[in-house]
Amino acid sequence: MRRQVLVKAAAAAATAAIAVGMSACTAPADSGSATGAASDLSGINVALVPGGPHPYFQPWITGGDQAKADFGLGSVTFNETSGWDQSKQNDVINSLVANGTNAIGIFGVSPTDINTTFATLKSSGIATASLASCPAGDTNEALFCLSTDTGVAAYTAAKATIAAMGGKGVLVHLTGNNVDSNTQRRIEGVKKAVAETNGAVTELPDVTDIDKDLTTAQKAVADLLAAQGSQINGIVSTAYNPAVAAAEAVAASGLPIKLVAIDDDPTILQDITDGAVYATVTQNPVGQAYVGSYALAQLASGNCTMKDPGVIVDSGSFLVTKDNVKTYDDERKKKTQELQKQFADELMTCK
Amino acid sequence: MTAQNRDDAPRTATRRPGAVRRFLATPRFFLIVLIIALVVVIGALKPSFFNGPFVIAPLLTSISIFTVVGLSQLVVMSVGHMNLAIGPMAAFGAMFAGMSFQLFGLPLWAGVVVGLLAGAAVGALSGWIIARTGVNSFIVTLAMSFALIGLVPTVYSWLTTGSAFTVKPDGLDVIGRASFATLCLGNVCGTNAIPIIVVPTIVTMAILGYLFTRTRIGRELLMTGSNVQAAELSGIPTSRRIILVHTLSGVLAALAGFLLAASTGSFTPGIGGEFMLQSFVGPILGGTLLAGGYVSITGTLLGITLTLLIRKGLDLFGVGIETLNILLGVILLIALSADRFRLIRTRRTRAAAAVAPPDDTGGDPHPTGPGADKKEEVSA
Repeated sequence: MRRQVLVKAAAAAATAAIAVGMSACTAPADSGSATGAASDLSGINVALVPGGPHPYFQPWITGGDQAKADFGLGSVTFNETSGWDQSKQNDVINSLVANGTNAIGIFGVSPTDINTTFATLKSSGIATASLASCPAGDTNEALFCLSTDTGVAAYTAAKATIAAMGGKGVLVHLTGNNVDSNTQRRIEGVKKAVAETNGAVTELPDVTDIDKDLTTAQKAVADLLAAQGSQINGIVSTAYNPAVAAAEAVAASGLPIKLVAIDDDPTILQDITDGAVYATVTQNPVGQAYVGSYALAQLASGNCTMKDPGVIVDSGSFLVTKDNVKTYDDERKKKTQELQKQFADELMTCK
Repeated sequence: MTAQNRDDAPRTATRRPGAVRRFLATPRFFLIVLIIALVVVIGALKPSFFNGPFVIAPLLTSISIFTVVGLSQLVVMSVGHMNLAIGPMAAFGAMFAGMSFQLFGLPLWAGVVVGLLAGAAVGALSGWIIARTGVNSFIVTLAMSFALIGLVPTVYSWLTTGSAFTVKPDGLDVIGRASFATLCLGNVCGTNAIPIIVVPTIVTMAILGYLFTRTRIGRELLMTGSNVQAAELSGIPTSRRIILVHTLSGVLAALAGFLLAASTGSFTPGIGGEFMLQSFVGPILGGTLLAGGYVSITGTLLGITLTLLIRKGLDLFGVGIETLNILLGVILLIALSADRFRLIRTRRTRAAAAVAPPDDTGGDPHPTGPGADKKEEVSA
């Protein structure tokens, strides 16, 4: 056993010398080339890489596993070790590629930097998709972006809140990382809905940077309600942790605040059923992972190409109220099927 | 590269061990052994570790950036101070560089100079406050950190729409992402396993090595770190030296921020968010003393290399986030503890040797660990 390890070590050292020394003369990575027959995707290893650990991304595991089973993919790996740092995420991605991954769906930590990562991967023949968030600016170096249209989702949520408030009063917007371009789109979406009330609704300053974890969000919401709870008529949250924190705090305070949250944490769904929360806007992370893995596998295999590389596709957002809290998932599953069909019939050209 | 205060030079000259033996007793040797062992083990279990463009080059890029981060901390540690604002200072310097490219259209070299000057200014301000008020560097740099954490995102939100400067001058991608494969002499090109970004780091290490080992100012910095009152009585302008090290720390933090921006692709307020822990781990693992008076530049490089190598290995094994953090902590703890055990064993050996006949050559500049007797010393 010991001898085997030593032999392996010696072989590895020799390989290292050859690999490092000769790497200038070899193709950077051959793992991204098309493999297998037209319908055989067993040579495709997909990786799904969120920006870091967050409850939003957990359904990616289910979506990826389902795609692996349904389409016969070689593997689908979920890696959340990027720690919300772009350089760490690049390290994680590079390690995955070195280990044989040839198709990657990424939630870029830094929307302004992720295009550089996509371009590098593309030059090495890796199929890439931007999932749950699109790169900042007008260019998308990934083959496609499958994401919630964050501006539209925030606008929908704000409109629902304003309707629940009776079309007048004071609204507060709780959201995440202020320097993220998606947050800026959410802020714009909410402001657009407020502007459409022609002054009937006023908005307090946005409460940002409270999606780091639940404790941070709980403290921020508690402070907000303690200071201004009696003036507030509506809260719209466009980030996960503030939504959960606000749902708990509003229910506990008994204040007559209309809350529209985001995503479908069990707490929020229960509060909608109980009437403590007016509505939530759910997204489609399972669909992002499932359809994203499917499309990536087809592209990496060489079976298909994108008609319009870099196209942005809305993965869907759904308003959930007391009326459809039991059935909204059917709507989401239907959207996922439509998305897959859209990729197969409209967005990709296949052999 | 080492140097130390020579006030006891005649005595140590008669008991000085060979250069090799002295090197074997340093933390650097221990780190080199650990690094080689890790490379062999990881490579044996995961041959993909030797993938040039996707593993070796990114690893060297990270090592290059974080070594500069470590050196930024090392220079203030040389006088027994610390800089808790390295990350925000990196973001501040990088912000000015990005601003120069995007708003004023400056070429690469000019933007770099502007960024480094911005880092120098904010570092000098910290140093000046510390020197003038006598407030502990921990407090001053912590306050500076808070101020910059507020200021930098605010400036980005004023001046940009997406909280980032994205304009890239000619040459930025070459520094940040190109490898020596792009440099050819006739038909012979370099390897794509070594990124260009190692060059500024090597130059920085050489300059700092020269400063600490070959210049009077370098020696004065170490004397200040060793005993500030003795240094003052010796005529060293300690206040100016304190301002100098904080200025240098700001420059190096800004350089690290610039290199990180060049490697990831844009200048954002998030730059430097991961710098603080690494800035301490690298120098301390390498043997630099928190108390001042002893620095190790190559040790910092090796300390950073060890930590990033461990992380890279765990990445390759696809270790989950919780396990990764636990293993990183445990491995670093073992590495630090093993070094400590090694020093204790060396000390015991010497204690035993002290009762041996006078022809013994056990004299050592580190009787209780590297610089623990507060002699001024540098390893570059």
